[in-house]
Amino acid sequence: MIKEFKALWEGLWTVFKHLFKRPVTLEYPEKRRVLNDAFRGKPSVDGCVGCGICKRVCPSGAIEYRKNDEGKVYFYKFDLKKCIFCGNCAYYCPKGAIKLTKEYELASSDKNDLNLIYKGGTDD
Amino acid sequence: MTATMKLKLNLGPQHPSTHGVLRLILELEGEKILSCEPDIGYLHRGMEKMAEKMSYIQYLPTVDRIDYLAGCFYSELLCRIVEQAFEVELPDKVRAIRVMLLELNRISSHLLWVGAFLMDLGAISPYFYAFREREMILRYFEKLTGQRMMYNYFVFGGVRKDIAYLEDVEEIISVLPDKINDYEKIITENPIFLKRTSGKGVLELDTAVNHAITGVNLRASGLNYDLRNIDYLYKGFDFGAVVLDGKDCWARYKARIMEMRESVNIIHQALEYLKSAPALEQKLINPLNLKLPEGDYYAEIEAPRGLASCFVRSLGDDRPYRLKWRTGSYYSVNLLRKLLVGEYLNDAIAIAGSLDIILPEVDK
Repeated sequence: MIKEFKALWEGLWTVFKHLFKRPVTLEYPEKRRVLNDAFRGKPSVDGCVGCGICKRVCPSGAIEYRKNDEGKVYFYKFDLKKCIFCGNCAYYCPKGAIKLTKEYELASSDKNDLNLIYKGGTDD
Repeated sequence: MTATMKLKLNLGPQHPSTHGVLRLILELEGEKILSCEPDIGYLHRGMEKMAEKMSYIQYLPTVDRIDYLAGCFYSELLCRIVEQAFEVELPDKVRAIRVMLLELNRISSHLLWVGAFLMDLGAISPYFYAFREREMILRYFEKLTGQRMMYNYFVFGGVRKDIAYLEDVEEIISVLPDKINDYEKIITENPIFLKRTSGKGVLELDTAVNHAITGVNLRASGLNYDLRNIDYLYKGFDFGAVVLDGKDCWARYKARIMEMRESVNIIHQALEYLKSAPALEQKLINPLNLKLPEGDYYAEIEAPRGLASCFVRSLGDDRPYRLKWRTGSYYSVNLLRKLLVGEYLNDAIAIAGSLDIILPEVDK
């Protein structure tokens, strides 16, 4: 009986002590965590040469690109509906053209917003 | 109503304490369970069939999702298969990095279990405490790999980039033992917790072995079977065996707590090595045009939920002819058929929770 009471008291005391500690949560969206550069968010492309490696390593088929007759990339598309943000494309890109940005709030009411299209294979 | 009337009850698939989408069809007489029929497949994504359509490098990021609480273990398995085929020997530093991350992952998985299990039993505070510590580990993973749960950090022949932010790991392992003491103060000897778990869901050793139970559940039934002892990845690491003879829910809880302490011990050793280790040098296997030579390959590892293994049959193609995963939870779910019979309904939650079942791993 005494042992049980002691165990209960010890547990409750441990919980009680937490009353005087600072909260560990952040009031999102007012406050946000600082993200590291390695964060894998919305992808972007700049300076694609059209080697096609990204398309070959992409597990979900989210990448599409087209080349003109001179072999220049004039259309590059990330389909965010398919993208699983694994980072394979960025890791294996030989030119370092693909970057995964820190942007992670990607909800949209228009599904066309989720097709990231880069004309000319660059950002503009 | 007559006393012999039987009642069929669906526990799940949306019940909060079934950890995902497990549906248990229980046959009850009063509150006593006469039979239990687990119904699985709600989270089936066809992980094995998917492999037959994808190249190995395309498949690698998806295996993190087999068990989203311990993704590292499954990446490690697939990497092992490929490394085995090309006879790549991992350098010591890569081994240390992998061991450290695997053990961190194991702790985060066990922490979630502690929280969720106690939540099942009606204790709410430990849930938040466990998640608070788990958050530290997830943040470290996010800093290093870019995401909190789907790491995709191991690649064929090594790791994606050199280890960094070791001071974060140091902080985690300096804080964790104290926090685990806190959990123990709240939970372990609590009379209500003891009443609900000790002597409940007794898993005899021969039942466990016959049902192919592995991992902590088996070790809490008294058999010292830990793959880490013979794993080449863990060679040179010194850690004790966590074996308990209680066989009940309480023993399984205690074993997980003790295993977290052992994991902290292993991480400590890995960290000491990594602090003074030279820069990363690894022989990566080129994943483009990767064709596994014809043959059968098998790799296994001690995952948080028991033995996990992967079997690949290759016909020399760039994709497997057949790939099979063995996951610990699948067998634990099957065990419920036996373990729940004769128990009361309110104990069913405690027993099912104590086995640490995670559904994506079951359904694959």
